[in-house]
Amino acid sequence: MVAATDPDIQHTTEEQVAQQARRKELVQRWFWRILGYIFFLGVWEYGSGRILEEALLPGPTRIIKTFGELWAGGKMLDAFQATTFRIAVGFGLSFIIGLFIGLISQNRWWEAFFRDATLISLTAPGLIWALITAIIFGNRIAGPIITIVLTTFALVSVNVYEGVKSLPKDLVDMGKAFRVDVIGRNRHIVLPHLAPYLFTGVRFGFSIAWKVTVLTEIFSSGRGIGFEMRTSSQLFQMDEFLTWILAFFLFALFLEKVVLQAFENRYFRWRQGVAAT
Amino acid sequence: MAEIKIKNLHKEFGVGDDKVVALVDVNLEIEGDVFVSIVGPSGCGKSTLLNILSEIETPTSGTVSITNKGHAALPGYVFQAARLLPWRTVMDNLLFVQEEVTDAVRARCQKYLDMVHLGDKGNKYPGELSGGMQQRVGIARAFSVEPDVMFMDEPFSHLDAITARSLRRELHEMWKATNKTIIFVTHDVGEAVELSNRILVFAKGGVLKDDIQVDLPFPRDPSDEQVAIAKANVLKKFEELDLVAT
Amino acid sequence: MTTATAQLPKSTKPVSLVTRWKRSTWIPRVLFPITILLFWQVGMQVIRRIWPFAVDVLPTPMEVVDMMWGEIINPFVEGKQAITRENLYLTFGRSLLRLGSGFVIAMVIGTIIGLAMGLSKAVDAFFHDWVMALLAMPALAWALFTGLIFGMGNRSPIVTVVLTGIPFVIVNVREGVRNTPRELFDMANAFKVPRNRATRHVLIPSLMPFFFAAIRYAFSIGWKGLVIAEVFSGQDGAGWTIKFYYDAHRAHGIIGYAFFFVIFALLLEKLVFEKISNRVFKWRPKTTDVALVEALFDGPDDAASATAAAQI
Ligand SMILES: Nc1ncnc2c1ncn2[C@@H]1O[C@H](COP(=O)(O)OP(=O)(O)OP(=O)(O)O)[C@@H](O)[C@H]1O
Ligand SMILES: [Mg+2]
Repeated sequence: MVAATDPDIQHTTEEQVAQQARRKELVQRWFWRILGYIFFLGVWEYGSGRILEEALLPGPTRIIKTFGELWAGGKMLDAFQATTFRIAVGFGLSFIIGLFIGLISQNRWWEAFFRDATLISLTAPGLIWALITAIIFGNRIAGPIITIVLTTFALVSVNVYEGVKSLPKDLVDMGKAFRVDVIGRNRHIVLPHLAPYLFTGVRFGFSIAWKVTVLTEIFSSGRGIGFEMRTSSQLFQMDEFLTWILAFFLFALFLEKVVLQAFENRYFRWRQGVAAT
Repeated sequence: MAEIKIKNLHKEFGVGDDKVVALVDVNLEIEGDVFVSIVGPSGCGKSTLLNILSEIETPTSGTVSITNKGHAALPGYVFQAARLLPWRTVMDNLLFVQEEVTDAVRARCQKYLDMVHLGDKGNKYPGELSGGMQQRVGIARAFSVEPDVMFMDEPFSHLDAITARSLRRELHEMWKATNKTIIFVTHDVGEAVELSNRILVFAKGGVLKDDIQVDLPFPRDPSDEQVAIAKANVLKKFEELDLVAT
Repeated sequence: MTTATAQLPKSTKPVSLVTRWKRSTWIPRVLFPITILLFWQVGMQVIRRIWPFAVDVLPTPMEVVDMMWGEIINPFVEGKQAITRENLYLTFGRSLLRLGSGFVIAMVIGTIIGLAMGLSKAVDAFFHDWVMALLAMPALAWALFTGLIFGMGNRSPIVTVVLTGIPFVIVNVREGVRNTPRELFDMANAFKVPRNRATRHVLIPSLMPFFFAAIRYAFSIGWKGLVIAEVFSGQDGAGWTIKFYYDAHRAHGIIGYAFFFVIFALLLEKLVFEKISNRVFKWRPKTTDVALVEALFDGPDDAASATAAAQI
């Protein structure tokens, strides 16, 4: 009743109150977040040289400096090139194999045939594959590639399998009813439906691929991030070692959060629309 | 038996754009072993009123007092969905809400399970029962604390017509047998007329619009002429109050 | 199935051998390991023919079985010396002890942080990014790092288990706290149930599934981390033994130990986790088989990437 006499003032003040509340929450969240960063980085920096010797635990500032040096020396780019190449070849192969197995697993017979293969791939530790292939192939590229394929193909095949199984039959039938040809149906119905499943497979497969690649490089390689990590740990150069770990971590974060995310936003915008309505 | 006094009750949720007014200036007195139904369109604050009465929510302003001969009254609550602990057996669900667990209390719980015809299901888990059975466990639970006042929030709306009808009959019997004040929220005017002495009508925005006495003898058969007329009268009132349009 | 066949009049006719072969699922399941063995055996023969000095490096299935059998019966044979320093049981015992101590530490600290993060937005903001970073960190990095700091011995493997396991505990416990059933607490309030009883009968049981998931993940990821840490800085234990075979260039030892891992994981699952789960979740309606896929890809984003990370 009061609001009716002077609705504008009432409204704006209320809106302000709400906005203030929201802003306050955001500010608080960022405050605590930054405090978290200050705390952890501070403990690290303080601990270096005080709790542990600086040779054992170099602080963040030291790491950033080393990072700059390694980058400037060109070593960083070289190692990343080697590792990325292995991942690309290995995971590309793994994707094709996984796609193939996922597709033929629509047949129950093949599904049963590959069931244990999938299970083993999902559960066996990557370390074992890395060691076995290192013994067999030495530092040839076949080692990392086989290891990547064995540890990741199942993530692709499982997702493809699920995607095909849940194909929207009603939409395909609709396409048939409107006389859409096979190519059109595949392009506009089957592929858009499968894409998110493939994407999930790639995302999870990838997050494993890069870890396992570095692991194989530790045992059998003359180039790459894993190799650099091994060298610096053998030479007891903690600053370099931690820098490599950090670089490797940032690289993975970049791929997962920036590249894959951008891809997802670009191609799966329609799904957000679905979720919103 | 309880005495309920509500004065100038206001309830709002949220602030700014998200603000929702659930109840506006509600004044109400309920006394004795009456069966009071609350009807009104969806979102008019019925559940909110029950939640405030049972102290799950606190009012924005105004006062609420529920007493039994000067003492704070003990409430029972039957929810729209049964709200049983899925990880406890039926019997343990009843024991969970008791003040203390003694042999006498166990016997009492068993008695109320028997009343809702689930005497042999005490050792089952809720997940092993049908929806109607779960709702009956919820009713037995509320009665088993022997409350002074009972709140029921659309307890039969999820059930099929046949189950709902038999449960309505059971509820009526239990009310007669135990002498309680019952506050019963429903969408269904027929249900309200069939069960209650008094019907409170709420309108959108949480305004208490009308307070109707229903003086017909129990038990009331929905197909009975008198009951049908009473129902038609309540519906006519809805139209007069313009509830149907909004 | 039964109703379907009952409706078909054809079912009285004997099914042809080919159809039966196509329908059965156990035949391909058995065929898979046979195919693998065949490939393995034939492949080794071919390679040895071309490349004679590969005998030590490339094991045949028989050698692997021999090695495993030897390890299993070793303590029961008088006077037989183990190839490695300690026999299979002592090795696994040592590793388990390390895993157990790291696991307990991870559970305790992780539960405390997870609870705090679930209850307070401030604490959540404080830790969130760091927990996610920890989650994305491969066990390998911790294994090498702790190896350099602590040197040989028990400390590096245990700390690795703690550091790899802890983010999984935190994420799951936090998720559990966030998903507490509000409507059940309201119910308890309406009936004036005292607080400590509500905690015992509502809060704790509702946290159990999340807690249990935390235990499983922490255990399996911790185990993988432990083995890697032992590879680099153990003087005994399962990881060290694998490294021993690796350094000796005996792949049959590694493969044999890989099988021991699988057997060990299966035993743990069947004898421990399944038993506990059946006891704790007796109230749950029985699900016939929970698909692996579901376990891997359901749930919120953090939890999903957590599961993916648990693979390595
Ligand atoms: N916890 C809450 N937070 C914000 N708004 C709420 C909350 N609870 C209820 N409301 C709002 O208050 C109003 C009244 O809700 P209430 O649940 O009391 O309606 P109701 O009459 O019980 O409706 P129904 O018949 O559909 O159950 C609604 O507009 C609802 O959106
Ligand atoms: Mg309601």
